[in-house]
Amino acid sequence: MATQHAAREQRDSHRAQSDSGTATDPVMRGVQLVVGTVLLVRGLGQRSVSGTVTALGGAWLVSRGVGGPSGMKRALTGRNDGSSERGAERTAPPETDVHRSITVGQSAEDCYDAWRDPDTFSRVMGHVADVEAVDSDRSRWTVHGPYGQDASWETHVVESEPGELVRWETPTDAVLPNEGSVRFEAAPGDRGTLVTLSVSFDPPGGTLGDRALQQLDIVPEKLAGQALGRFKSLVETGEVPTLEKNPSTRGEGDTV
Amino acid sequence: MRALTWHGKHDIRVEDVPRPEIVNPNDAIIEVTATAICGSDLHLYHGRVPSMREGDVLGHEPMGEVVEVGSGVETLDVGDRVVVPFTISCGSCWFCQNDLYSLCDNSNPNAELAREVMGHSPAGLYGYSHMMGGYAGGQAEYLRVPYADVGPVKIESDLSDEQVLFLSDIFPTGHMAAENADIDEHDTVAVWGCGPVGQFAVQSADMLGADRVVAIDRVPERLAMARDHGGAETINYEEEDVYDRLMELTGDRGPDSCIDAVGTDAHGTGVVATSDRVKQRLNLEDDRPTVLREAIRCCRKGGTLSVPGVYVGRADNFPMGPLMNKGITVKTGQTHVQRYLGPLLDQIESGNIDPSFVVTHDAPLEDGPELYETFNDKEDDCIKVVLRP
Repeated sequence: MATQHAAREQRDSHRAQSDSGTATDPVMRGVQLVVGTVLLVRGLGQRSVSGTVTALGGAWLVSRGVGGPSGMKRALTGRNDGSSERGAERTAPPETDVHRSITVGQSAEDCYDAWRDPDTFSRVMGHVADVEAVDSDRSRWTVHGPYGQDASWETHVVESEPGELVRWETPTDAVLPNEGSVRFEAAPGDRGTLVTLSVSFDPPGGTLGDRALQQLDIVPEKLAGQALGRFKSLVETGEVPTLEKNPSTRGEGDTV
Repeated sequence: MRALTWHGKHDIRVEDVPRPEIVNPNDAIIEVTATAICGSDLHLYHGRVPSMREGDVLGHEPMGEVVEVGSGVETLDVGDRVVVPFTISCGSCWFCQNDLYSLCDNSNPNAELAREVMGHSPAGLYGYSHMMGGYAGGQAEYLRVPYADVGPVKIESDLSDEQVLFLSDIFPTGHMAAENADIDEHDTVAVWGCGPVGQFAVQSADMLGADRVVAIDRVPERLAMARDHGGAETINYEEEDVYDRLMELTGDRGPDSCIDAVGTDAHGTGVVATSDRVKQRLNLEDDRPTVLREAIRCCRKGGTLSVPGVYVGRADNFPMGPLMNKGITVKTGQTHVQRYLGPLLDQIESGNIDPSFVVTHDAPLEDGPELYETFNDKEDDCIKVVLRP
């Protein structure tokens, strides 16, 4: 654990020194603020994985719109608590590391092939975002806002070993910066393949992004767990279990 | 379509909801011809099961006619008459491959929710809370059946609906309870609870060769049914002390196997049972383990405790010391229904058992809400309700 903390501190200080990418164009900032606020409010109102992603995307955009995390704090609290000197006393947004594993009753090669199939990925993550293959190594993720505005980012595969590993990163200015890997190895007891997903995930927008995470309760881990569960189901059964069109007095589908 | 829906404690309604549709390639849609209210539906009725949402469609004991099949379905055709098991099971995962269908790895879309509460997610179930899958249930005109090649059993004889309907849950559940009780030919088996599952546990214990079955309840007509149909000796726990009577019947050894066919909503008598009720109201415990305490006290040293009764969360005052020091084995779990469909259908078809003996009420689906109340209050000698959409 200590090494993880050390690595995190190193990353935080590095991030604190780097430009946080605040929009300088006032029109752009206004757009980011509005879209971000809408996404954030909507996201926090939904106790769901997609809601979290929406909230995080929103928090990031708000932070861009008001001039970085400390500016956002001012905008929200109306106070200047002296934390405006960027990187000096500000607590850097915590990075959330997620590791989850699952056993899939198929060979590592089959699991790897399935993971690399762009169609698989859009089905596994379909409940969170639209995932579209740009090419064999790049995917475009889109979370839809309530009034048709989208938050969107790309992931790039930076390393892949057939039957063993896929690693990806997002460009540094992504709405939801993250880097991750999935590993495939023989499961204990000859029970198929152990699939391990690791994601380092920066809650954007400092305290607010952090609050969104806390409010929504270990959601990055839930997101990883759901993704792995859906991946396993797809590989083992050819379909993902769903409550789509599920009837209730509330209407159709799963509104949890 | 018309469906029975949950709106909170003691609030069941019959309402219009959308008709289900095929979503996945292995889905089928059945038009429900008969569907039953289960004792475990009463846990929902009491508001005891977490993660129910207002407007959820109830029911997990349905049968009917296939009206639509997805592109991946191979064994069912439109027009087939089927009974649908309450456990939704994919057939492909390690658990299904090992006949542990109620522990399916793939069928719960809300597996993360169940994992948070329990450590792992069991199979999805029809109409039994969002933690257990969130699937709309079968107390409705139509039902979407996922993994249609794995669940439903085809009925190709002219047996009536009420003769085969209970393959969906209570007959296999009572049977698995008796199997889990590890019965030998000289054994005395005690069954707590003479509701439908208890009745089938009594019958199955007898079928599996028990020397003697003792049935425990407080409702006279239920005890009479266990006597008349299962040949059981009976104990009314409101009239005599269960422990004393069981010791008397077993030469002070205690029953070799004990079956808890009651579960979380046990009534019980005395101070501890009252304290359970208070704690449950204050949300200090989820379950009232009255029967478990009594069964562990009564069970023979080295005997087996089989628990088909549904529990939902945490139970207080669980006698771990007696359980451990007496060397008792506990076996439990939701029923692996698919494992039993073939063999038990054979038993029905060969005339060895006619499960319809438990039915006391047969009514249209529209009467569902009031029959929930009747069943819950054990009024009108109600033991088992069959509804016709």
